[in-house]
Amino acid sequence: MLTSDPQTPPPGGGFPLVAAADLQDHLMVASHDLERLQRLLEDAGEALMGHFYGASNQMNVLRDEAPKVNLDTAPIKEALQSLAGAITALQFQDMATQLIAHTQRRLRNCADRIARDAMGDDEDGEAVVEDAPMRPNPVTQDEMDAGSIDLF
Amino acid sequence: MHTILAVDDSPSMRQMVSFTLKNAGFNVVEAVDGQDAFEKSTQRDYNLVLTDQNMPRMDGISLTKKLRENPKFKQTPILILTTESSDQMKMAGRAAGATGWLVKPFDPAKLIEVIGKVVR
Repeated sequence: MLTSDPQTPPPGGGFPLVAAADLQDHLMVASHDLERLQRLLEDAGEALMGHFYGASNQMNVLRDEAPKVNLDTAPIKEALQSLAGAITALQFQDMATQLIAHTQRRLRNCADRIARDAMGDDEDGEAVVEDAPMRPNPVTQDEMDAGSIDLF
Repeated sequence: MHTILAVDDSPSMRQMVSFTLKNAGFNVVEAVDGQDAFEKSTQRDYNLVLTDQNMPRMDGISLTKKLRENPKFKQTPILILTTESSDQMKMAGRAAGATGWLVKPFDPAKLIEVIGKVVR
């Protein structure tokens, strides 16, 4: 609801209009920055995958040349292990994407609620408020070690 | 050759899973979400379904429930590969009929080992 003095909290309590607008701006900037981070991660992920496949294809060339090429050597075994480790690490993109999407939704919900509570509904109808995430963030991992396995 | 239906809405995860499974000698059919997987489930036989949980249109647990309603999938192993690690979600997966619950990120060798245990 609009207050007569934008610096004064509304009668029922809550944010003064100026503070609400400022806070909403910060939340939207943070949300847009996360969007940019998402695009950066996508780009980095694609580049890393390209390099991964390049290295992997070279290993397949070596495999095709066996037994002319001896594959039972420590450097080749280490290279294969490194590629396997890269598969685990490259899954960061999926996890980061989910984490960012969840956080963005939460930020937008906060920004929309602040705007609605401070300024009321839009002239042409009810203020649009992004739905808050229904559940806590599904990504709880904070490292890239392989996850648990449960067979029922 | 065994055929696996690999379901994930993330293109990079689908690539990683397919790469790992194909390298281990499996035939792979990819689906982009639960609904796509459900539609593809009628098109041929699969030896295993490996599905993500959080996906648009239909999640992994809903897909598992729907597949288990089909006699053709009563015995097919269904593994859920997800970022979700809460016991509550695991129990929901188990109740839906999943064979196992794997938390991302996966280790290729361990994934193949687990698949070897459940695929007949």
